[in-house]
Amino acid sequence: MGNAEEMNGENMSELVEVKNLSVSFDTPQGEVQAVRDVSFALHSGEVLAVVGESGCGKSVLCKSIMKLLPASAWIKSGSICVNGVDITACQEREMHKLRGRLFSMVLQDPMTSLNPAMSIGMQIEEAVKVHAPKIGKEALRDRVLALMRLVEIDDPEERRKLYPWHFSGGMRQRIVLAIALAGNPQILFADEPTTALDVTIQAQILKLLGDIQGRLGTAAVFVTHDLSVAAEVADRVAVMYAGKIVEIGTTEEIFQDPKHPYTCGLIQALPVFSRGRDTLRAIPGMPPTLVCPPPGDAFACRNECALAIDYEEQPPMFRISDTHYAATWLLDKRAPKIALPVMRIPHEQPKKDQTLTDEARGKQQEILLDVQHLTHRFPLTKRTVLTVVDDISFQVRQGEIFGLVGESGSGKSTVARCVMNLYRPCGDTRISYRGINTCDPGLFREHRKMLQTTRQIVFQDSNSSLNPRMKIGDIITEPLRIWRIIPQRGSLRAEAAFQMHYVGLDAAYLDRYPAELSGGQRQRVAIARALTMEPKLLVADEPVASLDVSIQAQIINLFRHLQKEHGFSFLFIAHDLSMVEFLCDRVGVLYRGKLVEVGETKALFANPKHPYTQRLLSAMPSPFQFLPGRHKFA
Amino acid sequence: MDPEFEIVGIRPMPQTGVRESKKRGRRGPAIAAATLALIVLGCLACDLIMTKDPAYLNLYGYSLPPCREFLFGTDTMGRDIFSMIWYGGRTSLLIGLTATAFSTFLAVMIGAVSGCGPEWLDLLLMRMTDILLSIPWLLAVILAQAVLGEANVLSLSFVLGLTSWMSIAKVVRSEVRRIRHSEYVIASRCMGGSFFHVLWKHLTPNFLSSIMFMVVMNVRNAIVAESTLSFMGVGLPVEEITWGSMLSLSEKAFLTNAWWIILIPGFFLLVTLFCITSLGNCLRETMSRGENILK
Amino acid sequence: MIQNRTEKIIYYGKKLAVFLASMFILSVVVFYVSRLAPGDPLLSYYGERVEKMSVEEREWAQAKLGLQDSLLVQYGRWLENALRGDFGISYKYKMDVVQVIGERIGNTLLLGGIGFVLIFCLALLLGVLCAWHEGRPLDRIVCKAGMISSCIPEFWLSLLLILVFAVNLKWLPSSGAYSLDFADSLGDRMKHLILPVTVVVSGHLWYYAYMIRNRILEEVRMDYVLLAKAKGLTKRSVMFRHCLRNVMPSYLSIMAICVPHILGGTYLIETVFSYPGLGTLTYESARYKDYNLLMILCMMTGITVMLCNLAAQIINEAIDPRMQRGGQTGGSDGP
Repeated sequence: MGNAEEMNGENMSELVEVKNLSVSFDTPQGEVQAVRDVSFALHSGEVLAVVGESGCGKSVLCKSIMKLLPASAWIKSGSICVNGVDITACQEREMHKLRGRLFSMVLQDPMTSLNPAMSIGMQIEEAVKVHAPKIGKEALRDRVLALMRLVEIDDPEERRKLYPWHFSGGMRQRIVLAIALAGNPQILFADEPTTALDVTIQAQILKLLGDIQGRLGTAAVFVTHDLSVAAEVADRVAVMYAGKIVEIGTTEEIFQDPKHPYTCGLIQALPVFSRGRDTLRAIPGMPPTLVCPPPGDAFACRNECALAIDYEEQPPMFRISDTHYAATWLLDKRAPKIALPVMRIPHEQPKKDQTLTDEARGKQQEILLDVQHLTHRFPLTKRTVLTVVDDISFQVRQGEIFGLVGESGSGKSTVARCVMNLYRPCGDTRISYRGINTCDPGLFREHRKMLQTTRQIVFQDSNSSLNPRMKIGDIITEPLRIWRIIPQRGSLRAEAAFQMHYVGLDAAYLDRYPAELSGGQRQRVAIARALTMEPKLLVADEPVASLDVSIQAQIINLFRHLQKEHGFSFLFIAHDLSMVEFLCDRVGVLYRGKLVEVGETKALFANPKHPYTQRLLSAMPSPFQFLPGRHKFA
Repeated sequence: MDPEFEIVGIRPMPQTGVRESKKRGRRGPAIAAATLALIVLGCLACDLIMTKDPAYLNLYGYSLPPCREFLFGTDTMGRDIFSMIWYGGRTSLLIGLTATAFSTFLAVMIGAVSGCGPEWLDLLLMRMTDILLSIPWLLAVILAQAVLGEANVLSLSFVLGLTSWMSIAKVVRSEVRRIRHSEYVIASRCMGGSFFHVLWKHLTPNFLSSIMFMVVMNVRNAIVAESTLSFMGVGLPVEEITWGSMLSLSEKAFLTNAWWIILIPGFFLLVTLFCITSLGNCLRETMSRGENILK
Repeated sequence: MIQNRTEKIIYYGKKLAVFLASMFILSVVVFYVSRLAPGDPLLSYYGERVEKMSVEEREWAQAKLGLQDSLLVQYGRWLENALRGDFGISYKYKMDVVQVIGERIGNTLLLGGIGFVLIFCLALLLGVLCAWHEGRPLDRIVCKAGMISSCIPEFWLSLLLILVFAVNLKWLPSSGAYSLDFADSLGDRMKHLILPVTVVVSGHLWYYAYMIRNRILEEVRMDYVLLAKAKGLTKRSVMFRHCLRNVMPSYLSIMAICVPHILGGTYLIETVFSYPGLGTLTYESARYKDYNLLMILCMMTGITVMLCNLAAQIINEAIDPRMQRGGQTGGSDGP
């Protein structure tokens, strides 16, 4: 990666210089100001990470530099200079000559960013030919092979004839990278390049990107929502919020000495900072809509130490050092001096035993869910079957959060669905819930009402788990209607309002439809629906995976609250190790349908036994290298 | 200290003139709806409008051009076209609606069974649908009508319904499949929702919206089909007045160049169809498809 | 995917079996349906004379045509003859039905063929043009025009064209496939084709143009288009080398499936223009109970439908690599 000392030098050439850029979208709701008055510079050879939550305009920023915005977007003001040339007014005709050669792009989802009907060799060839139309056949082939070797694809000679569907996500992302590098670009824009990938693959791709960037000296803009990834790859970090860059500085400065309360909040929301605490340090509230952004600091309404002026006037960029700038009134001379929380990972205090009193502990011994030899197979064709879950056994005790960790395709969702009796597992599987074997159709029928009311499921994608044509109030009280239960709080409406209040939603949403809510709010609705029946066991299938960091923390806190105050038991399924480490009492690691390791969270994370668990833990990106008192899962 | 720089903490953000999203009132559908309403009303209240008995054969005044007495002229059999338009429109619209009711019912039934049923049944039904879909429409109608014998309003509607349910059934089936595997249905089943609960609360409202457009289009197609068949002489007989059977006299009209016999009923037919189409188009869900990057 | 010869043979064997079974079912259905329907087949054989025939004469005539036996026997006889290549005679034309059809089939193929080629090319052209200019006036005008024209019933459009161009302007003939005096003149044939082809094309063109426009617009919104642009490709090469290329297989297969529909559409148009083709023949035979003729016409339609569906399937399987799902063979992510 780039060299930090070099960057402070004055003779740095500025590859990209963006000044006061504002980009707006025309939508049916009105003008959305996606990027507001953003200025930054990218030096040659460095990696700049742009960090922010979804909808903060980080991706739009990249696309507007490459002029890849859709027709409904326009650059309102500002200028973009690349290599000292102003390209703000460039037309499509000139832009397509620059793309690929001057700058290039890697997109988020490798599953959709390749043309499915063209062999990968042809797609790479195309990218080479665009900039060297007269290249000979031999030279073209050699170049394609060289590019494929560069991104570490083995057997390029044979594989270049294959189609994208032959490859897995990680391989496809390598191919996309090869395409992006085909024109020897000076700048590489990577728009969440590893978000859709598993942790171990993410580590490989990040390493590859780092290697190539170092070798070719390409400058890169790395867009991500994941602070840990940013810490791993970047020389400098820019934090965006509501269309503005709120803080920019070298990676050390941002992580060791953040000045903007939002940056602070984001870093603090990482589970590792809440070690030994019951709850995560969440940022309250939600990001504003950008249709009519507030006049003052957009973060003020989530900022506990907001100043009066924050609500009225936008803060300018305050200079902290030559490389470190932040936009917050707290840095003004007139502002009171507030000590922002120090970025220090709490030393593992002897926890007050995770909230559990002796009494609860006694209760905890009681096994609520006992899964024995769970096996599930899907028929692929008439002859072949795919064993998705292979003979796994675990227990969930009363009042416990049991985490199930695994990468995509490891069969974790299948486990959840088998536990909920949605799939019928095969063979000698025994899933007993409160001593009732739910795999036995007779017993299941006998105890149907108890089983279906005391066990509830929450899905990952809150968008598809709510019926788009039902009002929120009706969704929440659906289980009551199904069982014709008279609600405790009088009417169904009052019950819905109560549950909504409980999960932190405003009762004004009762008559809204799911599409009018944000992702985090919808997930709360899904949880509220599960809570209406006051279940004993909540199966949560990746409940926070599609949410933003700050919202994730809020939902995790809600789960913690439910466990502590109401003694709920959870089967918490996730791929995010840090969340699992924070939330769960015990963890099982799932690898290709097999449960390779089960144990107490603390013990398992401190001393992983199985090689896969070790690999998983070491693949986790960590922001700790920049933090005082760094230690990685010590 | 500057009061501006006092810590005030979290406050609700002052709402700055949130502009109400402009609802662009589209005039097209409104005009179409009004015109259609006018025609339907005219047809329903034809007894009040008609100036002559539509079935009366005026042997002395056949093929008269439009004049004061016969506003739209008379046809080759001497009937008053103005009266026939309103009287025949009633039958045409009725057939359109009944045929659509038939076909929608069939389509929803077959689509739902295919979508909910076991794999082999789905395969069988969809195979059948595909085969029926690929039979030339006119041939199918003529054969079906041949079985039922001489056409009347009811049997013709039945035949038209029988030959036009396939594409809706396919949509219903794929929608049911999609919704059935959606997480809200799974969640509902986890909570103990019965088959009928799921069908009523989740499936129906979601697939109805996606077939509304096609249902409206089916009304249009049924009207076209009826007029085509009557025109060809395989539908309703000439004595049964509809817009189509009025046009079946066109062969004779060519001989005398009696343009009004062809143009006037055709014009009414066309306007009705056009109104139905534009109403159907605004029923079609305007999905945001994302942005065209190529522009 | 088809791996080896035996699997290939099984694959095609299955297809053939399905084809033969469908043909058999179709023939049974058509046979029974046509005979169940009311109407007197003798009418088409003897014309007006039927009314004057005595009971004995009728019985003799029915026996001669083999109409007195039970349906099962009649069907058995038909099947037996048909397998030998003898499809019987047409009651109306009193010739071998194959001969009757042979005289007409050229006309229908000419009309349908020209119509199909025009629809195929024009729809592609219009669709791409509209997609290229999405949302701009050209696109809007074409879409609007398409919507209006889709509302015009084909038969009425034919009437209108006849009224204007044949009756009033007298530029073009209103009926027939050729004038008696110039039976062999190509120009004369073309003149007779202009109006019917116009109606055939306008009846289908918009539907397919609109379809291809929407397909391309869907394709344009895919992520890979963004990547292709980021590579530095121009709008034109993205449109033609990526989007259109990906749309083509499904367009080809849909066009293959629509062949019977376009041919079916010509049935109606042939009748309006009294064009001597299979359409008028089918119409007549169904109306006047010309059983043998109807049977073979229906069988021919069935074969066309099935061949076109087969062609569509083959196109899909052969051209579009996305349809082949052979599992991942290219390699997965490292250790």
